[in-house]
Amino acid sequence: MSLLAQQLVLAVLLGGVYVAVAVGFSLVWGILNIINLSHGAFIVVGAYITWTLFGRFGIDPFLSLPLDALALFVIGYALQRGLINRVIRAPVFFTLLLTFGVNLAIVNLLLAVFTSDFRSVTPSYAGSGLTLGPVVVPYIRLAAFVIAFVVAGLLSLLLARTRVGAAIQAVASDRDAAQLVGIDLRHTYALTYGIGAACAGVAGGLLSTVQAISPTAGDPYTLQAFVIVVLGGLGSVTATVVGGLLFGFIEVFGQAAPGLGAGYANAIAFAVLVVVLVVRPQGLLGR
Amino acid sequence: MRRRVLGVVAVAAVALFALLPLLSTDQARSAGLPQILDRSQLRELTTISMFVVLTSAWNIIGGLAGYPSFGNVVFFGLGAYATAVLTDPEHGHLPLVVGLLASPLVPAVAAVVIGFPLLRLRGHYFSIATLGISIAFGEVINNLDVLGGATGLFPPIIRNDLLFYYLMFFAAALTVAVTWWITRSRLGYGLVAIRENEEAAAVLGVDTTRYKIIAFVIAAVLTGLAGGIFAQWNSFINRENVFPVDYSVQMILMAVIGGAGSITGPVVGAVGLEALIQLLAGGSGVYTQILLGALLAVTVIFLPRGVIDFVVGRSRLTLAHFRRSLRETSV
Repeated sequence: MSLLAQQLVLAVLLGGVYVAVAVGFSLVWGILNIINLSHGAFIVVGAYITWTLFGRFGIDPFLSLPLDALALFVIGYALQRGLINRVIRAPVFFTLLLTFGVNLAIVNLLLAVFTSDFRSVTPSYAGSGLTLGPVVVPYIRLAAFVIAFVVAGLLSLLLARTRVGAAIQAVASDRDAAQLVGIDLRHTYALTYGIGAACAGVAGGLLSTVQAISPTAGDPYTLQAFVIVVLGGLGSVTATVVGGLLFGFIEVFGQAAPGLGAGYANAIAFAVLVVVLVVRPQGLLGR
Repeated sequence: MRRRVLGVVAVAAVALFALLPLLSTDQARSAGLPQILDRSQLRELTTISMFVVLTSAWNIIGGLAGYPSFGNVVFFGLGAYATAVLTDPEHGHLPLVVGLLASPLVPAVAAVVIGFPLLRLRGHYFSIATLGISIAFGEVINNLDVLGGATGLFPPIIRNDLLFYYLMFFAAALTVAVTWWITRSRLGYGLVAIRENEEAAAVLGVDTTRYKIIAFVIAAVLTGLAGGIFAQWNSFINRENVFPVDYSVQMILMAVIGGAGSITGPVVGAVGLEALIQLLAGGSGVYTQILLGALLAVTVIFLPRGVIDFVVGRSRLTLAHFRRSLRETSV
């Protein structure tokens, strides 16, 4: 019984991390119609920034999150302005290829700089947690969960309440009309992509405290983000939150199933993807 | 005139690939001929032929039918495992021929099973689903102790580089011939119709599901054959070397750089790019990968129709072309 309760708590907390992993991916897909295959690489870049700041300067991993967001926003904005804007009206296959190329370049650049060793960020409070009867809630995972929801909430507010958000929504619903009312499309595309990358950066910073990172750790995150967005449905932050939480449950309880284990994480994710695509292609909360 | 020159160049290139390996190492020496290629160069030529198979086979589903699979490596891996299980002394212990004959069968069955749900998906969904399935298959096989687990399988070592070169060269020639046949058949016209407008094709009487699955199976059969030959040639396989996502990417990159949808484009792309990769770093190394990433970006922006289009198609290598390609889309 207490084991089940512990598993439940872990599933919820893990779901929070998945919300952070998927929220930026969902934004870029929904608004720009780009499947950002470099999303996983952005996450890993964020993780390495946090790791470097922690290792070199002893900066607490949670304090470096704004820096992750800022750095990745700049990278994302520049990539969209410099590269992706040039093919954004080409068939989707080409943006897919382009972001794959960016992913390949970033991952191998990281390999050249940081080698393929696994790294982890272990602040002094890493092992401790909140004891609630039979259940232990690790502080770090709890903080990561809360921050993931703060990020999702901020993104939601940005889209609903600000001028920039209105411009982004306008571009998503009708590019030509948006341009007619004076929205700078190139800039808005780049802002959107930059914000998506910034969310990935924060996710990376959070992940570095939860698990070991390496330059090649990013690709599974891209796949997971895709599955989460398909699961929840495209088009709103809420749908991504639901998808992320649900995916946390699927992962924790799927791997606990007899005959399976952590080695099957991607296979489980993929099975979920196929089932959802066949049974309910628009996702749980999709329009 | 121009076409005739190109034809001569193509024939000469094929003849070179067919005959040059005879002048490698021992064979040349024993016949008193000059030794032009050493053993490692012969292996590089074999790898180039292998990528001609993979890229041209990808082109059948990705280029002709317009379903860009990001997971074709799954057929390579399944073909390799099918062969290795049959010939490995600890499993089947059957002769090489039996192993090679099995290598297209397992991927063909897999293509039918995977194809039914996946080929209903379009665009992004198809690409990511195929990417996912290749990762998932690799992972499952990696966990199965029956198939050697993470250690992998060890088919008996056959020391005959020339044999494996000609097997791979045959597979490459077969793939190109099959592509040529498809483009001249009902199937080919149906696939191109599906690529251009699937609804319209269906209205005009193309059985789209059947056509797509046939194309997927043909691609799987040829890719699986290359996997089977590779398994024997390398005499050691595991998830790392027969299910690498990199291969899926390279197939796409080579096909697009050369010119997806044509017969010669993928061949030119595979030969040119693989030769470049071998020259740069012997096939691995982070800097080669960085270069591949950059090349992908350059191709997508400047050569979306491939280099072959500059030779036989409408694209012209002018300054205006590059200016136009470099413009940020805003309208």
